[in-house]
This record gives sequence, C-alpha cells and structure tokens, in this order.
Amino acid sequence: MDIKWRNWLKKGWRAAALAPILLLGGCAHNPYWIFDPKGIMAKTNLFYMIVDVVIMGAIVGLTALLVVWFMWRYQKGKNRGKYDPHWSHSNTIEVFVWGIPIIAVGFLSYFAVKGTFEINPYNPTVITHHMKPNGDPVEVDVIATDWQWLFVYPQYHMAVANELVLPVHTPVFFRLTSSAVTTTFFIPQLVGMIDVMPGMRTKNALLSDHAGEYQGIASDFAGAGTSWMTFKTKMVDKADFSQWVQKVQQAPGSMTYASFNRFAQPYIDVNHHVVYFSSVEQGLFDHVMTEVMRGKTWPIPPMMTENMVDYMKKQAAEHRD
Amino acid sequence: MLVDLPGGWSPLLGRLAWSQIPYANPILAPLFVAVVIGAIIVLGLITYYGKWTYLWKEWLTTVDHKKLGVMYIIIGLVMLFRGFIDGLMIRTQQVWAVGPHSSGVFGSLHGYLTPFHFGQVYSAHGLIMILLAATPLLVGFMNIIVPIQIGARDMAYPYLNALGLWITAAAAALIMISLFVGDFAHNGWFEYAPIFEMQYSPGVGVDYWIWTLQLVALGTTLGGINILATVIKMRAPGMTWGKLPIFVWASLSANVIALTSFPALQVALGLVAADRYLGAHFFTAGMGGNLMLYTNLFWIWGHPEVYFVILPAFGMMSEIFPTFSEKPLFGYITMVLASMAIAGVSWLVWLHHFFTMGAGPYVNTAFSVATMLVGIPTGVKVFNWAFTMYRGRLTFNAAMLWAIGALFLLLIGGMTGMMLAIPAINYMVHNSVFVVAHFHSMLLVIVYAIFGSVLYWFPKVFGFKLDEFWAKTMFWLFSAGTALVFVPMYMLGFMGMTRRLEYVFNTGWQSYLDVMEFGIVVYTLSVLAFFILLYVSVRDHAKNRVGADAWGTSRSLEWMTHSPVPFYNFAVLPHINERDEVAWRRQHGIDNVRPEHYDDIHMPNNTGVAIILGGLTFVLGFALTWRIWWLCIVSLLAIIVLMIIRSFRGDPGYIVTGAELQRMEEEAYRREAQIADSHHSHPVSGGVVGNAMAYQRNDSSKRL
Repeated sequence: MDIKWRNWLKKGWRAAALAPILLLGGCAHNPYWIFDPKGIMAKTNLFYMIVDVVIMGAIVGLTALLVVWFMWRYQKGKNRGKYDPHWSHSNTIEVFVWGIPIIAVGFLSYFAVKGTFEINPYNPTVITHHMKPNGDPVEVDVIATDWQWLFVYPQYHMAVANELVLPVHTPVFFRLTSSAVTTTFFIPQLVGMIDVMPGMRTKNALLSDHAGEYQGIASDFAGAGTSWMTFKTKMVDKADFSQWVQKVQQAPGSMTYASFNRFAQPYIDVNHHVVYFSSVEQGLFDHVMTEVMRGKTWPIPPMMTENMVDYMKKQAAEHRD
Repeated sequence: MLVDLPGGWSPLLGRLAWSQIPYANPILAPLFVAVVIGAIIVLGLITYYGKWTYLWKEWLTTVDHKKLGVMYIIIGLVMLFRGFIDGLMIRTQQVWAVGPHSSGVFGSLHGYLTPFHFGQVYSAHGLIMILLAATPLLVGFMNIIVPIQIGARDMAYPYLNALGLWITAAAAALIMISLFVGDFAHNGWFEYAPIFEMQYSPGVGVDYWIWTLQLVALGTTLGGINILATVIKMRAPGMTWGKLPIFVWASLSANVIALTSFPALQVALGLVAADRYLGAHFFTAGMGGNLMLYTNLFWIWGHPEVYFVILPAFGMMSEIFPTFSEKPLFGYITMVLASMAIAGVSWLVWLHHFFTMGAGPYVNTAFSVATMLVGIPTGVKVFNWAFTMYRGRLTFNAAMLWAIGALFLLLIGGMTGMMLAIPAINYMVHNSVFVVAHFHSMLLVIVYAIFGSVLYWFPKVFGFKLDEFWAKTMFWLFSAGTALVFVPMYMLGFMGMTRRLEYVFNTGWQSYLDVMEFGIVVYTLSVLAFFILLYVSVRDHAKNRVGADAWGTSRSLEWMTHSPVPFYNFAVLPHINERDEVAWRRQHGIDNVRPEHYDDIHMPNNTGVAIILGGLTFVLGFALTWRIWWLCIVSLLAIIVLMIIRSFRGDPGYIVTGAELQRMEEEAYRREAQIADSHHSHPVSGGVVGNAMAYQRNDSSKRL
C-alpha cells in the first residue's frame, strides 16, 4: 500500500481520536495500549483498526443520524413529515440498502486478507520482508506452565522465568507451547495474541524500535493463577542486551527436564518471581512437547483455591516462594 | 471406576459427601437459608390459598402453548435475575481487587471471591444468560405468538411442547442446585480443552456444566422441531408463505438453526463426558487427543446458536416498528431473505471465535470474509427498520423505545463486530474485555427486543397493558446502566485489559472499573423499576384492560382474537387475505365481524407425563454429575418406560362443542364491549363479507 496514504490516514485519524483520549487519559502515559503501539506488529494491527473504524464509522454514524432524523421528522402529532400509510417498497432504496453493505464488506475484505498475511504469526511479512541484513534475529522458546512463563533463549543456552528481555531493532521469533492447559501470549503494545497449547507448537514474532518496559499478559483463562500470570517485557539497546545476557549466563540456576518437571508444578506467581537459568538442556522445548504428547500432565489438586490465603501459605511452606 | 477420582466415591452416594455442601461459605450459607425460607413462604401461601389443584390442573400439566410460553418466560426472567446477580458479583470483585495493595476477605487475597469461586460465578453468568435466560425467553415468545400469528389452535405437538419446557426447567434446576451442592464449572461458559479434563478440573463443576447443557440442548431441539412442524403444517387457510408474519419467518429461520446445530453441541458434550467418565482422550493434550477439535466442535454449534437467539429478536423488532410507525414493514421480502441469509451464513463463520488459535492465513481470511458477509443482511435489516419509520407516524411508547434502543445497540455491536471479524484487528482485542463489551452489545439487542416484546405482547396474553410510566423509567435506567457499564468496558479493551481477571494487575484501570460498578448499581435500580412495573400494572389492571387490538394500530393476526387469548385461540379459523391481515381488515372495515355459526373443535388433553419426565431428567442429570450409578439406571429406565407407556396410550383429545364455544365467545365479546374504545362486532353469515372471506367457510379442522 501507498505509504503516504497510510500516513495521511493515520494522522487524520489521530487528530480526531486524540482529543477524547487526552481528555480521558490526562497523564503523560497513554493508557490506551492498543492506540500506542511500540512494535511493527502492533502498529500494523492499529492501522487496520483505523481503516475499519473509518469505513464502518462513516456508515454506522450516517445510519444513526438517519434514524434520529426519521424519529424527529415522523413523530406522531408533530406533522413535520408526510404520512404515507401504505409505502413499504422502493427499488431504488433496495439497491442502496443492499449495495452499501456489499460495497463496504467488499472493500473491508480486501484489507482483511492483506492484513492477515502481513501479520500472519507464522510468517509476518511486515517483519520478514524487511529483514535488515545486520540484524540477526533473536529466537525465544516460550513454555507456559500452570501459571508461569519460561522464556528459553536457545542461541544463548539460557532461560528466564516470568520476564522477557529483548533487543530493539532486531526481529524476534517465538516458538510457543504449554505444559498444562491452553492460554494466550499477548504483549498489547508489541504483538497481538497467539494461543499457547499443550503438545502443540505455535509461532509469533515481533520487532520494536522503542526501548522501554511493556506489559505481557496471559490473556486466555488457564485456571486459578491466570490473573497473576503476567510478565514484564523489556526492550533494551543491543549493548544492554549483550550485558544482560552475560549477567544471566553467570546465574547459578540451571534448567534441565528434571528441574522443569518441578518448575511446572502448579504455582501461583503472586510475587512475580523472576528467575535466571544460566544453562538449559538442549532441546528442552521439544522434550516438553513430546512428553506432553505422550500424556504427561501436572494435575491440579481439587478445590485448590477454595481458600486462596491458605493456598498461599501452603505454597510458601513448600519453599516455593 | 474408569478414571481416577480425587476424593471419595461410594456406591450409594457416588461422589456426594457432606464435605461437598458449602455450609461454611459466608456467601452461600446465608443465601441457602434465605432460599429455604422463601420456598417455605411460597409453598405455605399456595397451601393457605388452596391453589395446589389450580396449579396442577391449569399450569403444571397444561399443554396449552400460551401457558407453556408464559412458564418459559417466567423461567427466563428468574434466570435473568440470577445471571444479573452473577454480573453484579463479577463487577464488584473486579472493582475491589485492583492492584497488589487491595484488601481481601473470605479467604481471598484481593476482593471477596477466590479464583475458584470467581470462575464459577462468571461461568454460570455466561451459561445462564445465553442458554437459560435469552433462550427460554425467546422460545417462550415463539411458543405464545407463532401459533396465534399463523391462525392455529395449538402447536403441532402439544405434548412435546410441554416436554421441552420441563426439560428446560430441569436444566435450570440443575444449575441452580450446583450453588448449594458441590460446585459449578470455573473455566468459562464454553469451557476450554484440556482444562475441563479431570487433571485440571477434578471437581463436579464441569459435570454439572455438561449435563445442564445437554438438557438445554435436548429441550431446545424438541422445541425447534415443534415450531418448524407448526409453521409448515398448521397455517390458517389462505396464509401462503408470502403472507407469513415476519416474526414467524424469524422463528422459522431461527429454528432451522436450532434443529441443525444443537446436535453438534450434544455430540461435543458427549465426547467431553467420554473423556471425563470413561477416560477417553478425545480432547486431551496427549495420547492422541486433539484439544483444538473441541474448540471447533463447540463453536460449530456456538456460532449458529448466536443467530438462533438474535433472529427471533430481529423478528420482534420487525413487529414492533411497523405497529408504532403505523405503516407496513419496509422491504418484507428482503427482510425474509436477510433472515434466511443470516441463518445460512451462520454455519460458515465459527472459526472467528478463535482466530488466535494459530490457523494459517488462508483459513483465517476465509472465515474473516465469511464473517463480514453476515454484516450484509444485518445491515439490510437495520436500513429496513429505518425506512419503516420513514413516512410513518411514530409513537414513542415504551415498547417502541426498547426497539429503538435495540437498533442503536445493534449499530454499536455491528461496528465492533466488523472490527473483530478482521484477524489483523482481532489479534489485539480477542480475549480482551473489548470482546466482552461487543457480545454484550449484541446480547443486549436481544434483551432490549425481549423487554419491548414483553410490553408489546403482554396485553395480548393477559388482557391488560403494562404501566407506561414505570416501563419508561425502567427503560431509561436500564439504558443508563448499559452506557455506564459498557462504554468504559470498550475503553478498557483498548487499554489492553483482558477477560476473566479475578485480580486486576493494573491500578490505572481502577477509575473505569469504578464507573462500571456505578453502572451496575443503576442496572439494579432498573431491576427494581421492573418489579414496581409489574406490581403497579397488576394493581391497576382493571383500568388498563384492552380489546382484541390492544394498540389500535396492530397489523398481524394475533391481534384479531380476544385479549387474553382463549385456550382455543380462534373459535372459527380466520381466512387470510393479506400479509398484514388485521391492518387489511381495519382498512376494509371488516375488523369488527364475528362468525355467525360455531362448529365443534378438537383440543388436546392435559398431561402429567411431561412434568414427571422433566423431573426424571433432572434426577438423571444429578445422578450422572455425582456418579451415583444406581440412580442413573433407575431414572433412565423410568424415563424409557414412561415414554413407551405414553406413546402407546397417545392422546385422543377432546371436543369443545359449538354451543359451548358460542357461549364462551359471546362472553368474550360482552367483556370487550365494556371497554370504551372497542367496536361492537356483528356476526356475518357464511364467513363472507362483501368480496372478502373473513373466516374459513366450513370449519372442518379436526387436525388437532
């Protein structure tokens, strides 16, 4: 698509949309994460949202005005408009009544198809078609458990629990699976949602030029600990990222399948523990997926959070806090 | 046992044990006491006034489609209230449990509901609102209105109709008893694989969910068969397909969906039950199970179900707009085509409920475009309603206000629906409260249409109008509540707030949640206004009595017979001349004729079998939930034996003689003559007035 037009559309929309948002927000941070994208994936999402809202908003807005006008004009007893008790058909109006939705849907379908390919999680062309030759992609294997996130960096043979640190200006490719149940991986300002399923592998990708800290969320209900299954995503400069990698690689913890087996026990991450693992068993991601496909589960005790305070005491007594 | 059961099991009581009764729960225990006291008072009053025989003969064993419809609507309203209380609890938990420093009571870290209980509350809220409030309310209206609108004396299968009602009642009872015995599912109303498997949901909650849904599905399928057969076979003479009232078309398209889609749900639930009871692996992650298959199967039913509930609501709006615009519906034929198109496309869009599940771009775009196609017939409907008002004479009474409210909500819901249909947008707001706000907009279209219909058709069923002042008060309170709850919810969706958070991790969202809590308080006031509306209307009913045509501008056939409708609907079946028969007769001055001669008519007998079968299905559901195998076998055998006995006996029905009919009709005409604004009717011989046929010439209708 023509970049100029895209920018123009964006600017126009922002001018219209920002006024109420500023009124509502008030503070320096834009509280509307969806309207404040910091990565190319989220930006593309927003672009299509603007296109859709402009087209549909025009139709819906005009229809609403039409209805209000009819309500005003044809109110009984006011005699503003002509009363025609038998009028119930008009070919001209029928053409518009069917034509407008058909044209709108046709137009939007074009954008729907285009957008789906642009941010296809398996091959997002907004990233893969513009790969910079100098930016080596970072790969991250995401394993969701009940209810923690384990981020494995296979290129650096290390892993981090419940925190994601990534370099800016670098494409990041995710492979995702889950040890227990289905949930969804979501960083509102960077990348849209993708389901994370046990025994299955999904993919996603992101690319961001803005250093900062962004909220990551488990956005699909996965059981008692879902509300606390959040993680911070830190986009940092490349130099800072290398430093951080060195720091993690000196951490004492290591992650083998045996230790993962303990890690994947149901655990409600109320205190947002971040744990570094300097070494990771080669192929841990595939190992976990294979075990789950063979029937391995990490069951939940009955009525586990019938009393949450008691459960947190139990979790602490097991020295898992 | 084929599967490992955490906790005990005994041959006599299954999994049921004293420890399953939440007697120590600070919310449920007092509620239980209140329910018991309330039940004792109600039963005591019935006994005191000696109404048991009346209740049994006139209501519990009835096969009259109007009474069954009224009972469907009562079940729907009671469950709507229960679902509303669940909604109030959800909002209160979320406004309380914000940020790590929020307080917690009753064993919760934050707020007053632990994740285990919060999950049950929102799961019950969803299931109840869709399947035990919206569905019975709509089925109830279809039950009451469809036979009268097509000029039939009852449904095609009156006994089946009663059976459908009592099975639905059993489902409602099953979900209600889960409050006090055991627990309900806590993974959402549509559940997820594999979290509903034994390893992750070891309690009986998911089992309650399975059997409640199975019973609703069964009851609704039976109702669907009945309405289809009724519309196809029972239309009055002269009523060709082109003259069918629009609500009947809407019911027809909806029940085509019901009949074809509910079996898919029943199969999916059967497979879930196989996993949980027999240790199968249909939807497990390992052992060759396919968890994505469940999501597909569920929504293959789930999306048509959405249109099953919205199409009758559209039909209701299509009846209310013309009556209060005093002109025919604009574009009748396109309206019918649009309903059928929606029913057809409803089968091709289920995947849009899980664009994020990781299907490839080709699959996602196919379903995205199919989903947007729904926008075409829906858009046509909106324009048609607008042009029904065009050149009309609009009366903004309460029923019309609800219909217009539904129209505006449909615009908002449609707009956000078109956003969600595009995967590139969906990825950002799927599983966020934006989706929650979207489908509440759509479901509120149904609620608005239902309240509009309650006001619109109440005089037809009960013979007096509801109070306008309180109806309008309720409307404005309800609409204020809608705005205050769902505008902030849309905004929170754009802020990235996800669904089903028992604990809200972002303190920045607090003020929006505050507004929503205030909104739900306003909703509570509208519920109060509804109770006052009922009280005031019943108190003043003598003042608000109406004749056959309650609104004076009505159009379709149901307004031709008396209000309240006699049990036989039409003493002599009318002959249909035009699409809007009542409007046509008014225009040609034959709206005040009545038959000269009455023939004998044939009506179905009451039966107690339906309510007993309903009770037995409840016992079966309860026994299956708790795995009390002996009780399962006993209740299942009893059901089968009773069905066989009933089918051999059949129902010969009984005859209402012409003389008796004439006496009842004359009494009804006398009563109507006392109401100031109604005309005196005059008898016509041979059923013919001028060139027009008013009644079937020779009523040989022995079909019932």
